[in-house]
Amino acid sequence: MKPIGGIEVRSMNYSHKNVDIGVQAYQLGEEFQMLMAGPPPTGNSFTALLELPANQAMELLHSPGAADSPTELPLKRHHNMSHRSARNHPHDCAPAFPSNAALNEGATKYSGISTAAAFGGGGQDSPESSSSANAMKVKSEPMDSGSSPNSLPHTSNPTVASKNEKHTKRKEREKGKATNKKNKTAANDNSKEGERLPYVHVRARRGQATNSHSLAERARREKINARMKLLQELVPGCSKISGTALVLDEIINHVHSLQRKVEFLSMRLAAVNPRIDFNLDSLFTAGNGSVLESNFPSMVMPLMWPDIQMLGNEQECQQQWHLGSVNQPVWTRQEGHQNLIISENSLLSYDSPANSVSLHSSQQKMEI
Amino acid sequence: MENVSQDQAKNNQIRWRSAAEQKTYSSKLVEALRHVRRSSPPDNVSSRGRAVREKADKVLAIAAKGRMRWSRAILKKRLKLRLSNHKKAKDRSKLAAAGNSRRKNLKIEVPKKKRLRPLQRRVRVLGRLVPGCRKLSLPNLLEEVTDYIAALEMQVRAMATLTELLTGANAVAGNVAESSNRLEISRQLEHPPQS
Repeated sequence: MKPIGGIEVRSMNYSHKNVDIGVQAYQLGEEFQMLMAGPPPTGNSFTALLELPANQAMELLHSPGAADSPTELPLKRHHNMSHRSARNHPHDCAPAFPSNAALNEGATKYSGISTAAAFGGGGQDSPESSSSANAMKVKSEPMDSGSSPNSLPHTSNPTVASKNEKHTKRKEREKGKATNKKNKTAANDNSKEGERLPYVHVRARRGQATNSHSLAERARREKINARMKLLQELVPGCSKISGTALVLDEIINHVHSLQRKVEFLSMRLAAVNPRIDFNLDSLFTAGNGSVLESNFPSMVMPLMWPDIQMLGNEQECQQQWHLGSVNQPVWTRQEGHQNLIISENSLLSYDSPANSVSLHSSQQKMEI
Repeated sequence: MENVSQDQAKNNQIRWRSAAEQKTYSSKLVEALRHVRRSSPPDNVSSRGRAVREKADKVLAIAAKGRMRWSRAILKKRLKLRLSNHKKAKDRSKLAAAGNSRRKNLKIEVPKKKRLRPLQRRVRVLGRLVPGCRKLSLPNLLEEVTDYIAALEMQVRAMATLTELLTGANAVAGNVAESSNRLEISRQLEHPPQS
């Protein structure tokens, strides 16, 4: 009775991505009334949902969330805020999923029960909310006697919680395995990826061991498998391989080869390095096509100025700066980076020290 | 669902694949390379190569904006090196030697003959390959590896493009310039030009 109402509330809230965690416990009473006055045809009543098959129940849960949200949302939001205030302060302003995760964590008392799992698929919100609602039941002040089907799980009754568990378990069994698994991983990943919370809510699949250890292990394994799948897509040639060990081998090989490539390229860059000049700025702006153009003038200019001596330990780039400022018309050939070079030239003087040269070049780069 | 983690991973991958990111990285790398060129001793090729590698990794870690653990580990390593130069330089040379030999065999033989299952062994190896992820649990490690691989691929692409550009420039310069000025320039260089 209550969890369904709670679920519905949560689903509506999350569907609107409204997660405000505040302490408004005292508004609950009024909102309970309003909830109870909610239209039964939308499937708000727990008993109504119970009689339906699980899928239809899920749909009912979510369609009211989509349809009736504008009117009932403000109410529900208050409920949720009051619910969450008891437990999840640090999670305000989080998007829907992390808030779900927070609530999930809050509901760890009723471990093994992510009632969301019972409602599968898009019901991720609702299960977590209901589970959190269960937790809230214990924590928050009892607002209702808990008799009304639509009352939120504020009424702290462990017995009711257990009843909810049974209901959700029953619904769980009625559903297919796929949705359960989805919900479980959703719950897990919400709790893990969203907030890195210590608790993982796992749902026992049909026909599997319900030992808490194996549940946790299964959750962990599924997380690992999900990430391995991502990696398999990333590493070429891994999708055909089956078996974690071989895939890991491939990944190791790939990372190792990439690191070797970086090492090799860095050696090459170190060897080529002396040739780096300020043309690189223009290269990056104008693209590769202008490489030859831009380098021609830089190399031609030294030819034209054979008697310019290198000053102190200046580098050749500075010499080209000097030359460039004189041979401005040479640069106008390159329309692509004309602005860049002319501005660079304007910044320089003949006596500019190496520092200012690098400074200007870095400024240019930053403008890029 | 896993949508959250998958979306994050996909976003990361998209980030590392974008041309804008590569461009940013390349320009930062060029700036870093200038520093290397100025600061490092000109006669030692290997040390300069290593310095380049370190700079490249550092710039890559900066590009990662510290979101991932490996990037923070790289930056921490650099910081430690700066703080205590002498000691760390000695240690690093030792480690580098050891690391090079370690890199050759991917299957690490643990001297204590621990009963590591092959899977666990590979996990350890992978943890050692990615900086800062030695003692990480498998799911987190896999996440780090995913991002690290994407970042490495971008690094390789950027550096390959860079070297191509530079060697192309060198080729042009080699063809054009046979002047005394060029000899003067080459005097400043650590290596004679390729022509």
